[in-house]
Amino acid sequence: MRRGRVPVGSVGPAVLAALLVAAALLPVDALTTNLADRFAGPSLAHPLGTDNLGRDVLARLLAGTRLSVWFTLVAVLACAAVGTLAGLAAGYAGGAAGQLLQRVLDVLVAIPTVVVGLVVAAVREPGTTTLLIAVLLTGWTPFARLAYQLTVRERGREYVEGAVALGAGPGRIALRHILPNALRPLTAHACLRFANVLLSLAGLSFLGLGAQPPTPEWGAMLAEGRQYLFTAPQLVLVPAVAVVAVSLAVTLLGRRLESRWSGR
Amino acid sequence: MGGTLARRLATLPALLLGASLLIFLLPRLAGVDTVRAVLRSRVAEAEPDPVVAARVAAELGLDRSWPEQYLRWLGQALTGDLGLSFATRTPIAPQLAAALGVSAVLAALALLVAAVVGIPLGVRAARRPGRLLDRAVTGCAVLGVAVPEFVLAPVLVLLLAVAVPLFPATGWGTPAQAVLPVLTLAAFPAALAAQLARAETIDALARPHVAVALAKGIGGSQLLWRHGARLALTGVTALSGMFFAGLLGGAVVVEVAFGIPGLGRLLYDAVIAQDLPMLQAGLLGVVAVAVPAGLAGELLQLALDPVARAAVEA
Repeated sequence: MRRGRVPVGSVGPAVLAALLVAAALLPVDALTTNLADRFAGPSLAHPLGTDNLGRDVLARLLAGTRLSVWFTLVAVLACAAVGTLAGLAAGYAGGAAGQLLQRVLDVLVAIPTVVVGLVVAAVREPGTTTLLIAVLLTGWTPFARLAYQLTVRERGREYVEGAVALGAGPGRIALRHILPNALRPLTAHACLRFANVLLSLAGLSFLGLGAQPPTPEWGAMLAEGRQYLFTAPQLVLVPAVAVVAVSLAVTLLGRRLESRWSGR
Repeated sequence: MGGTLARRLATLPALLLGASLLIFLLPRLAGVDTVRAVLRSRVAEAEPDPVVAARVAAELGLDRSWPEQYLRWLGQALTGDLGLSFATRTPIAPQLAAALGVSAVLAALALLVAAVVGIPLGVRAARRPGRLLDRAVTGCAVLGVAVPEFVLAPVLVLLLAVAVPLFPATGWGTPAQAVLPVLTLAAFPAALAAQLARAETIDALARPHVAVALAKGIGGSQLLWRHGARLALTGVTALSGMFFAGLLGGAVVVEVAFGIPGLGRLLYDAVIAQDLPMLQAGLLGVVAVAVPAGLAGELLQLALDPVARAAVEA
């Protein structure tokens, strides 16, 4: 990597860190309504103004940061765990198991996450658990594909043959010998997927399938603010900037990690 | 190549059958009593008479075993009979066909714009990596991936329909109404196409055949396009097949935000109205188009790109 690009790559993570620290430390009240003070402009009491119900926009933004980022983190970790285990198992077993995994992945990749979200919402109630299931159903596939490729590559290496010769079982070889060697590319990939999952979750909430009002979730805030697009565009613009800033920050971080750790 | 093609095509019917079975079982997964749902769609009665319920079940064949019901449902679907909507009591098949048509036009326009904007920018940027144009294109491409449709749609409406009222903010049917939704949908594939075209052109320009061309005195845009960019187009072509599949039915946010009567909107409305036959028909439409289109994109890449072909056959 060239020296001149490093500061640009650091801006994103810095913005993300600042938002997260502010969200974690500041006590915020995101739910109190004040109908006498609707659509107020920026002031000392409300630095970003108030929304259609007189709620503090900055407080909702920070509470939304906490919710969206934590929720995405849980979803990405779940996807990574499921996908990595599936890819590792199929890659180590090879043969029919590998073929089966690849065919399943081919189908799931062709179906958009938002359609899966609609189906899960039809089977269950809309809500955060529904969102998590929908994202997990499609989100594990990229990890499975990467873990599968890495496992197939590592399986032929000498250290695996050595472990086999020493009498190690398949479970031990897969988890103790192959997985540690696949961990860095998978971690870089998780960073890149974070932005994708964040946008999927917020998009499903935007459609009303996830967090319900008055929960201060970014997608739900955008959907609510869209009704006042003509009179109070800041209600859309504030969560929009937050979504884009975080997704950009994590993508840039993921790219740096990938170029350093990709191992390809 | 022949073996790969045959193997992939052979799995296609099995995949489609499996998907149709899952779609058929959807109401059962949702815990919906179909007889009751049908009755409620005909008459607004909270608790139907058991005698009437039994008669309706026998009439519609809902008292048979589910494999029998599945085969009948599949046979009817294959002959173009998708039943009646619970919400409107009108035949579903014509509505599905109309929605598919709208989504196909929307997706094709978006991909066309993405290719026309993204590929030339990516190729030009590759000519002098690290210079101003390259940095601008790369920056825009990263932004294009990071900005989701649900942000871009209201922002474009704000800019081009409210602040400067150039285009209508909703609706479908006139060319002006298509501008904002097509721009919203095109941003992401355009950004990816630019990134991909840039990377592959840089790769191609470093190959020996370009040095030979240079030595022969070929330069400028002919070198860039004839010898560099040609290789870049194979990857982009394959990608567009997969994108087209994803945009049919996957453009839910854009179709809802702009009020476009496409397949994504049909699925969304069916979920909101709990109209299960409509949802099942829409999903059948998505699967029937998306799975073969994704496969076609992949096969196209194999046909165009000898390196990918070698990787599959190895």
